[in-house]
Amino acid sequence: MPPPLRCTASFPSTCAKTLCRAGQSRRSFSTTPQQDQRITRNRRQLFRWLGSQGQNFLNPLNGSTNYLGAYNNEGQLKRVVEASAEAERKRKKDAGKGNELAKDDAPEGAEEGGGFKGKIPPETTRDLTPFPLNRSFVSQPVLSDEFREEIWKRVMQDGKSVREVSAELAVEMSRVGAVVRLKEIEKEWEQNGRPLAKPYHEAVMSMLPKTPFDPDSKDKGKPHESINDLPVHRKTGTQIFHPTSESRHFTREDAAKVFDERLLPADLRVPHPELAEMHKDYKAGLSLEERQARQKERDEIAERKRQRASAKKAKQEAAVKKVDTGRVEFRFTEISVDDAGKDGRGFKGVGWRYGHPHMDRSRGTVKIPTSVE
Amino acid sequence: MVVKIRLARFGRRKAPFYNIVVAQARTARNSKPIEVLGTYDPIPKAPIDGEGKRWKDIKLDSARAKYWLGVGAQPSDPAWRLLSMAGLLEPKYRPKA
Repeated sequence: MPPPLRCTASFPSTCAKTLCRAGQSRRSFSTTPQQDQRITRNRRQLFRWLGSQGQNFLNPLNGSTNYLGAYNNEGQLKRVVEASAEAERKRKKDAGKGNELAKDDAPEGAEEGGGFKGKIPPETTRDLTPFPLNRSFVSQPVLSDEFREEIWKRVMQDGKSVREVSAELAVEMSRVGAVVRLKEIEKEWEQNGRPLAKPYHEAVMSMLPKTPFDPDSKDKGKPHESINDLPVHRKTGTQIFHPTSESRHFTREDAAKVFDERLLPADLRVPHPELAEMHKDYKAGLSLEERQARQKERDEIAERKRQRASAKKAKQEAAVKKVDTGRVEFRFTEISVDDAGKDGRGFKGVGWRYGHPHMDRSRGTVKIPTSVE
Repeated sequence: MVVKIRLARFGRRKAPFYNIVVAQARTARNSKPIEVLGTYDPIPKAPIDGEGKRWKDIKLDSARAKYWLGVGAQPSDPAWRLLSMAGLLEPKYRPKA
């Protein structure tokens, strides 16, 4: 008979939801009637697994990820086994020297069988593999609650741009945008008294690797993700053999031109070209003051450009008269009848033209639409 | 003959597009008008940022429209509706409160 699933005493109430109810140990996993179930080898192995390694997933670790890849065949945490072996080796070495101090350093997390007295060592990449047969799949960290709150604060309260915050905290711009949007919704819901799925959120977050926000720690420099990767452009997908003379100074600008006449060079296509500029200054051996001055100058130019663009946009907006009739808004744009020219066919004129057929009546042109809105 | 401000339907089947024109009353709808004052696209467009109401695009030379109204051009009902929205005329019909 397979061993019945038991609750361990540590989680009497919440354990394994329906899987293991104390009084209902005869509940089976299969829909085959009890009398037809044969004790096969696979079945035996399954229950053996549930009794040994499976226990780790029935009662998951607190404050750590709990992936299959982190356990060895005996169901012990690999990193704990290694740490205890390491401590043992150290203790023997120190005992050989006659050093008594070593006893204090011995890690408490050294106990066989997966139970620990003290802190579990931090996870390595190996421990973050949910699928033991697919070692290249590594669970990536998500932003912790404090981190997301900080991102929202910097963008919405300190008024920083998404680009700035992305560069400061090493989080991709698209992710910064998403965090801010979702945080806004969350705060709106909280304000309206709408219930949030907090227990679910906490349960999921407790199972995932996280990037903590902790500005004082030594680990501050460890980025959440790489933020300045060159996005792959469709035009660069083709392999091109481009002969050029040896004497020619062939730069990235030229390479971009070879791919496509209108393609920007890689330096400008990265998400944060300003970081590359800063690093170039650093490589050129400029002093900190010089670099800061240059950066300030660049920032000012960018700011002026942005202001010009926004002023132009605002002017265009102001020129449009908007009339709201309830269902839709009518937008009146002022034009001049003289734009159509003397014959009324000038290209700046508005409206359907008189006296010559519309383009789609002409022969020899492709009329299949290239996009549908 | 009466000079009217009216709409001339262009566009395609199920995709109307109107020229706001000044024309002699008895000429055909899409015949060459005296002047094209602007356009009216009655198909609502979705706002670009995804927020707010859908909108209809109207292009209008209000100075010329005023001139033609001043010399006695008579707007048709749909044209009157648009011109009153642009603030050139008193609205003819008001929604019942």
